[in-house]
Amino acid sequence: MDIFAGLLQGFQVALSANNLLMCVIGVVLGTVIGVLPGLGPPATIAMLLPLTFKLEPTGAMIMLAGIYYGAKYGGSTTSILLNVPGESSSVVTCIDGYQMARKGRAGAALGMAAISSFIAGTFGVVALMLVAPPLARLSLAFSAPEYFALMVLGLTMVVLLAGESLLKALLAMLVGLWIASMGTDLFTATSRFTFGRVELLGGIDFIIVAIGVFAVGEVLANMEPTDPPEMLPVPKGWRNLLPTWDDMKRCRFAFVNGSVVGFLIGLLPGAGSTIASFMSYGIEKAVSRHPEEFGHGAIEGVAAPEGSNNAETGGALVPLLTLGIPGSGTTAILLAALILWGFKPGPLFIQDQPQLFWGLVASMYIGNVLLLILNLPLVAVFAQLLKMPSYAMNSLILGVSIVGVYTAASSLFQLGLLAVFGLFGYAMRKLDFPTAPLVLGLVLGDLMEKALRQSLMMSGGDPSILLRPIPSVLLGLALLLLVGPLFKKFNAFRVKVIDSEA
Amino acid sequence: MKGYARSGDFWSGMVLAALGAYIVSEAWRWGYMTEEGPGPGFFPLWYGSLMVLLSLALVASAVLKRPAGTARLVVRWNDVGRALACWAAFVASIALMPLAGFMVSFALLTWFIVAVMARRAQRVALPLAVGGALFFYALFELGLDLQLPHGMLF
Amino acid sequence: MFHARMIPAAFLSVASMLAPLAAHADFKPTHTVEVIVHTGPGGGNDVLGRAIAHMMEKEKLLPVRMVVVNKPGGNGAVAAAAIAEKKDDPHTIGLITSVWIAGPLTTSEARITLHDLKPIAQLVREPAVFAVRADSPFKSLKEFIDAAKAKPGTLRQSGGSVTSRDNIVRLSMQHATGAKWAFVSFPGGGERLAALLGGHVDIMVIEPQEAGEQVRAGKLRVLAQLTETRLAGYPDVPTLREAGYDVTTTPQIRAVVAPPQMPADAAAYWEERFTKLHETASWKKYVADNQLEDAFLHAGDLRKSIVETENRLREQYQLAGIKTVR
Repeated sequence: MDIFAGLLQGFQVALSANNLLMCVIGVVLGTVIGVLPGLGPPATIAMLLPLTFKLEPTGAMIMLAGIYYGAKYGGSTTSILLNVPGESSSVVTCIDGYQMARKGRAGAALGMAAISSFIAGTFGVVALMLVAPPLARLSLAFSAPEYFALMVLGLTMVVLLAGESLLKALLAMLVGLWIASMGTDLFTATSRFTFGRVELLGGIDFIIVAIGVFAVGEVLANMEPTDPPEMLPVPKGWRNLLPTWDDMKRCRFAFVNGSVVGFLIGLLPGAGSTIASFMSYGIEKAVSRHPEEFGHGAIEGVAAPEGSNNAETGGALVPLLTLGIPGSGTTAILLAALILWGFKPGPLFIQDQPQLFWGLVASMYIGNVLLLILNLPLVAVFAQLLKMPSYAMNSLILGVSIVGVYTAASSLFQLGLLAVFGLFGYAMRKLDFPTAPLVLGLVLGDLMEKALRQSLMMSGGDPSILLRPIPSVLLGLALLLLVGPLFKKFNAFRVKVIDSEA
Repeated sequence: MKGYARSGDFWSGMVLAALGAYIVSEAWRWGYMTEEGPGPGFFPLWYGSLMVLLSLALVASAVLKRPAGTARLVVRWNDVGRALACWAAFVASIALMPLAGFMVSFALLTWFIVAVMARRAQRVALPLAVGGALFFYALFELGLDLQLPHGMLF
Repeated sequence: MFHARMIPAAFLSVASMLAPLAAHADFKPTHTVEVIVHTGPGGGNDVLGRAIAHMMEKEKLLPVRMVVVNKPGGNGAVAAAAIAEKKDDPHTIGLITSVWIAGPLTTSEARITLHDLKPIAQLVREPAVFAVRADSPFKSLKEFIDAAKAKPGTLRQSGGSVTSRDNIVRLSMQHATGAKWAFVSFPGGGERLAALLGGHVDIMVIEPQEAGEQVRAGKLRVLAQLTETRLAGYPDVPTLREAGYDVTTTPQIRAVVAPPQMPADAAAYWEERFTKLHETASWKKYVADNQLEDAFLHAGDLRKSIVETENRLREQYQLAGIKTVR
């Protein structure tokens, strides 16, 4: 069907009073569960599933999708304010977002997260609409060797996330890899590093580690001074809360980066929004003219990952709607919902159900606008949270961490793990180990190992499968990323030698 | 005591080297290759070995580093003690949950942080503790119909 | 056919037909019922659990709400432990699959097996089919097997974990025919299908519903079905036995269990409710929509079915050289 006619039909569907209401409900609910750590879109959609049987499917789909992308908007809030990631895709936002908040720029960070989410989210929908069928082929071209190369590229970002010592960053990353390999091995059913505990058979949920190391570790570090500063600086006045024009100019590239990287990674059924956000953060830092500001409150460090995880939504819907292939927990449950409503998701879905597809696309345009309108005023509300005295803030962070972990896993054992990783995060701070590489290793490690072993199983042990065209390009990029800083260092050294000779 | 024995790098390197050795020894048992392809020990063996190598490098650099004299960061054990006290309170509140539930445990934790750690008056600490617990209850259990940890008593 | 264990349940279901509200022994749920599943939201049993909750409500079979509780991890071990912890709670039930039988066989950490839990009823069997890409040179399963024999190890199958049915079928087929092909595990169903559609592997075991749409779009071809009799959706595709391969395929079952010490009246209540559910139109529609095999069994038969499946799996694992721990 002609895209224009399709979209026109879609807006007719999406703008009906009922569907508009569904869209509003979806994005508001999405924002709320995004703000709350622990409770994510898959669990929420699953809980609402029985309710949707009473609804008309198009409206129900619009609502569920609203929860999906709405949660990505809300996810940054607690990352920025409390250093507690609201969603796994907002973990990387903690790095610079929380630092901005400590410097009194929480409003700018929150506002930028909303703006960037809007731009990239809209880009994701446009791309979904225009190029879905041809790009679906890209998601099929990616298999184990390609994923392996992508993960290697991701892991080389440790160079960028390292603080003063690359050695320590690498060690932190290796510990992340170790935690990632806990649990039952998919390929052989061997239990690895489970210490005989049933609870560890499924591995350790990465969000528990992230909350423990980032949030609880931070609280423990905050406890150190006997008389901590009473509260964080919060500028007065609505105007000073939002990002400035300068901020917007600084983030120009981040918008593009987040949009494109997020969408492309979204297309891949085996990657996901957490990886998308890490990748775009890494790219942002790699090309930045002032990389030294990253980790200390660079606004691009918020804009890029937050944009990226929103563009990812549009990307992830491509394989789901054009091929019937779910790539993540959330898309898997959307697929299940479609089947339960009596649809047959698969390659012919768009052709069979144009009003549902175009209605969904149109509703996502509307939903993104709604989310921007909803989230910008919320910035002012949330920024007031920082006016709390620090002792109240610390106990709030601990409470949110506990509830976040418990609603995600509902087991006390996981709370015990939270405490362990909290102490671990504190120790890392004391010993000057950077925490971001740990989380990076944890996110990518499991996928990397699987992809490597899958590749070698596919090729019968022949490693040359890792040098197919796409992986070669990705591995080449990784090499460049690794060698780049070394070359810079060498050059600096050379200049120094020449200078001293002169 | 030698200078390096007081350095965090030295000890963290030692601990990580031990962890790496443990990983390698476990991975060794699991098998490097299987008939179907790389075995469960394949990947851990590699990153475990790398961990041993890098952590020994960290130890070596700590030993070889010239004694930095007064510029060295000295660990203020008093501060660490405060952080550990808070951690212990956090652990205790989690351990209390199977008995007393989230509300009571969290109220006690908040009270500890405000009254003991931050040394605020009881008229600040008590309302905050009770109010904080009620806030979480209202938001999650009443507002969102989610379950917070419940104990035998509450 | 009709043995002692079935009598109370049969009696109850007759009695309940006569006096719908009066006769469920003594037990009746008084507050929300929890259905424990071993997958995260969106996984097979999670969706089934939510569908059951919905149908129970729609058909007014329960006086209270039913909610799904996810306890993922360890191939059902975490969920099994969670059910066992509930001891005699009549307000908790669990949904199991064959994975719960397979998991403890290979995992020493799993202290709770299905023998420790109380069987309630078996609901369905999940059929599956062998599918290849539509442009694949293999027009029949025999052609695939022959090619795998001719060049051992060059063909590849995508599937789930090593203990999954996908792999068991492959191992049995390899054992029966002497052919050899590789098995590549993927954690998610989407990735398995993507690997097949993208040409990275040659064959996969796939659910009939999922395959149906791909066939209709001209992307996949189904070579054989892993069932005893042909499925309604695939009247022209041979079963494994019809294709000339007499291998026992371990069926993927989905069933209901309860905490170990659930009182007899509560267990009877649940058995009767699920018997009732199985007779409703909603259930029949659900089974048809998802192309499942209706395979209802009462508690006693489910226990036998579990033991049988376990023995068969152990045998197949041992044949394949997968280490079993019990």
